[in-house]
Amino acid sequence: MRIEIQDISFTYGNHQVLEGTTFHVSSGKFVGIIGPNGSGKTTLLKVLSRILQPTAGCVRIGEQSLSELTQKELARTMAVVSQDTNVGYQFSVEDVVLMGRAPYLGRFQSESLADYEIARHALEVTGCTHLRDRSILELSGGERQRVTIARALAQQPKVLLLDEPTSHLDIGYQQEILDLVKRLSTVEGLTVVAVLHDLNLAAYFCHELVLMHQGKILACGQPTDVLTADNIEKVYATRVLVTPHPVFGTPQISLLPGTREQNKHGENHQIHVIAGGGSGGEIMRDLCDAGYKVTAGVLSVGDSDWEAARALSIPVISEAPFSSVSPERHQENLAMLETAQAVILTEIPLGHGNLLNLEAALQAAAAGKPVYMIEEKPAQNRDFTGGPGQELLTKVQQQAQSIREKTELYRALAEQFSSSGQLNDFTDVTRPAVDQ
Amino acid sequence: MKTRNKYLLYTLLLSALVVSVILATAVGAVAIPPRETFQIIISRLTGLWQSSDIPATTQAIIWNLRLPRVLLGLLVGASLALAGVSFQGLLRNPLADPFTIGVSSGAAVGATIAMLLQQTYQISFTQMLPIFAFAGAFLAMFFVYNLARIGGQVPVVTLLLAGVVVSSFLSAVISLLMVFAGEDMQGIFFWLSGGLLMRSWSEIWFVLPYLLIGSIILFTYARDLNVLLMGEEAALTLGVNVERTKRVLLVTASLITAAAVSVSGMIGFVGLIIPHAVRIVTGPDHRVLLPASALVGATFLIWADVVARTVMIPKEIPVGIITAFVGAPFFIYLLRKKKSEIRL
Repeated sequence: MRIEIQDISFTYGNHQVLEGTTFHVSSGKFVGIIGPNGSGKTTLLKVLSRILQPTAGCVRIGEQSLSELTQKELARTMAVVSQDTNVGYQFSVEDVVLMGRAPYLGRFQSESLADYEIARHALEVTGCTHLRDRSILELSGGERQRVTIARALAQQPKVLLLDEPTSHLDIGYQQEILDLVKRLSTVEGLTVVAVLHDLNLAAYFCHELVLMHQGKILACGQPTDVLTADNIEKVYATRVLVTPHPVFGTPQISLLPGTREQNKHGENHQIHVIAGGGSGGEIMRDLCDAGYKVTAGVLSVGDSDWEAARALSIPVISEAPFSSVSPERHQENLAMLETAQAVILTEIPLGHGNLLNLEAALQAAAAGKPVYMIEEKPAQNRDFTGGPGQELLTKVQQQAQSIREKTELYRALAEQFSSSGQLNDFTDVTRPAVDQ
Repeated sequence: MKTRNKYLLYTLLLSALVVSVILATAVGAVAIPPRETFQIIISRLTGLWQSSDIPATTQAIIWNLRLPRVLLGLLVGASLALAGVSFQGLLRNPLADPFTIGVSSGAAVGATIAMLLQQTYQISFTQMLPIFAFAGAFLAMFFVYNLARIGGQVPVVTLLLAGVVVSSFLSAVISLLMVFAGEDMQGIFFWLSGGLLMRSWSEIWFVLPYLLIGSIILFTYARDLNVLLMGEEAALTLGVNVERTKRVLLVTASLITAAAVSVSGMIGFVGLIIPHAVRIVTGPDHRVLLPASALVGATFLIWADVVARTVMIPKEIPVGIITAFVGAPFFIYLLRKKKSEIRL
């Protein structure tokens, strides 16, 4: 059933919670409402469910205005699963689900066999049949959430509203509940509007998203159109990386550091990171956090360390994807190394394509630059060249400072730069030193 | 509860109540065999079983003294238990009882004023005390309700708070009136302790309509009470007109309480304990809980009154003291046995 929200405003005292909100939900769609805390999501849902009366505007459901329906008519059209499913009474699961039949029963009418059948079906759909005779008090949060959804289904609604149906649930239950809701919308044709907190889940499950910001709709439409890095930065005031889901291609949000400028002590020091294959992402992030000027190279386009460097806005020497480091890029890398005050070699898997990166490290060491070589897992064989790689590695080892743990690296760097007369409390800021 | 178990329970409770009425009428300072008691009651009610062989004094004791008292105990017990269930469900608070929102304090003030008027100014008319008590209860309810109302809604929390505040204020008023009463204080004290002494058929006719009409209304709202337990917002989305339901239930339960209190004084614990005890057997479904509680409450108060009038013959103990003596330990037992699981 189509829902039409026209110019809804809502005011709590002097505080305008919703301002001129307009959108519509097509029949049978699963629409997610997202936005930061206090953006008006829950208020919007309560206006939709008529728990709150809007100060202006109107909601139309199907052909009718929401305010024209009697309480019972409304309950037959629309079911609501609220955030708080805590209970303080001893009803059995079946009793609770049968309450979903209340809007269909007259004052003196008791539940018929048909009502029991509908409740049974609702329990089956939500996978709660085995809980039927249990007391609602004995259930876990996820089970109770499912029972509440079963109760909503027993209302045989055309519209289902959910307020953060997965908060307080672990990822297993989150997925289970949203799978169920999605199935209800695609298979049973239910129109679903859900307030969701988790952007990745919202992107994954919803047909459409409505992004709320300060009581207004900032964007609405397909997840790919709504969940852009720009939109999210505007609304949540944090930088994120939006990448397609590795399997299904729906937008996925990853957090990025660096919006909160923490420590600028290391600003003047350039550190060059030689990384690859995901071995350097965390180190680059930590160094950026600490305020060092980080450079990287040579990295292949698309390599996860290359993605990390790009996300952190680190200057990087890039090579074409899946190809060897070319002499030109190698030269560029060496040029970049010239100005670096320290070089970090991470635990790169070695292949014929990236041996030049080891050469670069050797040259830097020869030029008298401190080279830190990460060896957190020294026993691991990461030489895939059948000899030459290990040979080079041993050479580097002789001239570099071996680092067994990342914290050790950060402390060593801090020491190096403080002995050169610069204040640097790096270790105090990034992570507490364990052995102090 | 299964339908078969439900009817079994009703049959059991109903027969217990009938037997209790006969036995309780037979027990007293003058012991009258239950068979004769039964005979007198049947002959008076139906005229089928001639009782002319039984002495007229015995007949008078049964019909004019004991039976009205036992029946009044029945009505008051049923009223308090019903009101207790309703308030607990309505306020979603296991500690609520018929007296929670100040109805009883209002009745007490009314009754105290009536006694003062009677004794100090010799103003008196038939049924003066119950009428004053009822008026006091009604005014208190009206006051609490309007105090708790915020923009057309009556939030449960403000209702409880307003009830507590008005109750303690009215208690102060009673204490003050008792200072004025001087030597008449004992009468007021007895009334406040709750008792069924010297009650006649007229009190029964006073209470009966409230209990009858009230319980019909409560029974019709039983399902709404169930749904309300899900929380007010959930109840709204399940099709219950929450504010109207609360209003109807509040007024009905208050009027039932007011009528009961105005003829019997403040009999505590019945409205608190009985619903909890019955709930353990029947579960929280108000469609069973309401009638079952009414039956159990009636039976309980009948026996409490038997104890009150026989344990210290020829003296009488106010029945409110008995119910407290039995009720408080029983409640503690429930609390301990079920640990912190006293729930609605």
